Amino acid sequence: MNKTASVVIIGGGISGCAIAYNLAMKGVKDIVVVEKNFLCSGSTGRCGAGVRMQWGTEMNCRLAKYSIEYYEKANELLDYEFDIDFKQSGYLIVAATEKEDAQFRKNVELQNSLGIPSKYLTPKEAKEIIPYMDESKIISATFCPKDGHLNPFHTTQAFANAAMRLGVEIMKYTTVTGIKVEKGRITGVETDKGLIYTPIVVNAAGGYSKEIGDMAGVDIPIYPERHQILVTEPVAPLQGPMYMGFALNIYCQQSPEGSFIMGRGDANEPRDGRINSSWHFLEEMAKSCTELLPLLGKLNVVRQWAGLYCMSPDRQPIYGPVKEVEGFYLATGFSGHGFMFGPVTGVVIAESILGETPTIPIYMLDKDRFTRGELLLEPSVV
Amino acid sequence: MLEKTGIATPENLADITPSKDRMAKGPVAVIECFQRIPCNPCQTACKRGAIKEFEDINDRPEIDHEKCNGCGMCASNCPGLSIFIIDETYSDEEALVKVPYEFLPLPEEGSYVTGLDREGKPVCRAKVLKVLNTKAQDRTPIVSLVVPKELSMTVRCFNIEDYFSDNTMVCRCEEVTLGEVRELIRKGYQSVDEIKRISRAGMGPCQGRTCRQLIMQELAAATGKKMSELRMSTFRPPAKPIKLGALAGGEDNE
Repeated sequence: MNKTASVVIIGGGISGCAIAYNLAMKGVKDIVVVEKNFLCSGSTGRCGAGVRMQWGTEMNCRLAKYSIEYYEKANELLDYEFDIDFKQSGYLIVAATEKEDAQFRKNVELQNSLGIPSKYLTPKEAKEIIPYMDESKIISATFCPKDGHLNPFHTTQAFANAAMRLGVEIMKYTTVTGIKVEKGRITGVETDKGLIYTPIVVNAAGGYSKEIGDMAGVDIPIYPERHQILVTEPVAPLQGPMYMGFALNIYCQQSPEGSFIMGRGDANEPRDGRINSSWHFLEEMAKSCTELLPLLGKLNVVRQWAGLYCMSPDRQPIYGPVKEVEGFYLATGFSGHGFMFGPVTGVVIAESILGETPTIPIYMLDKDRFTRGELLLEPSVV
Repeated sequence: MLEKTGIATPENLADITPSKDRMAKGPVAVIECFQRIPCNPCQTACKRGAIKEFEDINDRPEIDHEKCNGCGMCASNCPGLSIFIIDETYSDEEALVKVPYEFLPLPEEGSYVTGLDREGKPVCRAKVLKVLNTKAQDRTPIVSLVVPKELSMTVRCFNIEDYFSDNTMVCRCEEVTLGEVRELIRKGYQSVDEIKRISRAGMGPCQGRTCRQLIMQELAAATGKKMSELRMSTFRPPAKPIKLGALAGGEDNE
């Protein structure tokens, strides 16, 4: 059955739901979110659920700070019936190489200048935060108490519920099969449930946003990268903050219900969108974890899964309209950080569509920065 | 099969099931008596002559469903508890199944019990509409159960405990109750995977071994679909819990 919408958002993850909510809050009617599966069945629901302000570029620091400050109040702002379970127990980010150590000193300086309360720590000071870590494996660490984690399913649902109360329609189990472009303008979205006439499409399809771009004839320089996670049985509270290392390629956190969750990616894998689980990951992750946090070797792994990072060339988001097709907006290329940037994504994309002054200027995050050669390379990514 | 298991097969039942037209007219006796034995109280109890007179006392009863008005006298008189009264006109969605019940305690009218099939497997939640226990029943009370209409020829007994109450724990690892699952289904969560993500049912150490099936049952009941038509949930490795230390090498997985 065909229908008409003022905006069609492709992707029912955190970005799509937050964009829909912000547009609806600004009075836009007839917004449709199209989701191939169920809400946060893609990257949002598969992510490690951590959020941090400790970044290496000013842009990412500002995007993250805005989002985390939003998450602090999200239950109330979104009037959510359950709890998004936001716990700010900090991130301990460890440096394992001299290069990393030098970068971290610079990062802390940048972060502090933007009002982010991070600090530089010696291995001994780091061990006071996680007593069972092997501090001989690190050179230094940084810690920010404002970082934390929250439940991606509930958070996405909170945005979705608030959006639906404002009249947004969310079409679950609906697959986009094509995007209609006439004379350089968006005219509709084809789905397996019919055609939706619309002048505006937002591509918030995460790991699948390259394909969506291709449907509109827009080449987006991104690729999917599989990242895997394992989760252990729940145990009594043991570890407050996230333990993270970039050179060590690990993040490891105890979630509120007691299980440890840890993960990593492998940049050398084929970029074919695979999301199956591998034995290799289980073994390698276990080796790293038991080496760095030996006590955790006693824990049973109960489940593993995989999801897609949507990698951009400079590991920063790609936001806003594109030159090639009028009415086609991007909210993609998050490179593994779409969930933590969800609130700010919702705000800046809604502002961009409505032509409003942006809360945080994002014009330099447009797609064409890559052809201009104006990359804003983020050094601190796991 | 019947001789070995004591459970009627679909072929056995095909012979004794009243026609659809007759079912649509109101209460009727269904006689699930499959063995030739010297027994005839059902025939003598029927005041309407619906059960044909026996030529040989070993004959199996033969009932004319058109003459039967579902009064239930035969059911109370059957020593084998093999006669049931089925009323498919009770409501659009529900049927009444009246079962002879010789256990104590008797259920209370208005309470909920668990409907069991011929094998004793729980199949649905059933409301006790009436417990008929007068002199005429001669200590074989007839309990009227309200069941989903499609189970009118399935429910044949009940357990007095309400397995399917809202308080029943569906996921023991994460302590999710049936009531919580039902509430999520009412709110529009359409699959086991959606319910798992929002409630954590199935995320614990057992990995959904118990709750997956129970949630599927609940989704099937709510949507009127067969379980085989529902979206399958994702099964994730490892198949059984394994220690990080064992995966890394050097430590045994006890």
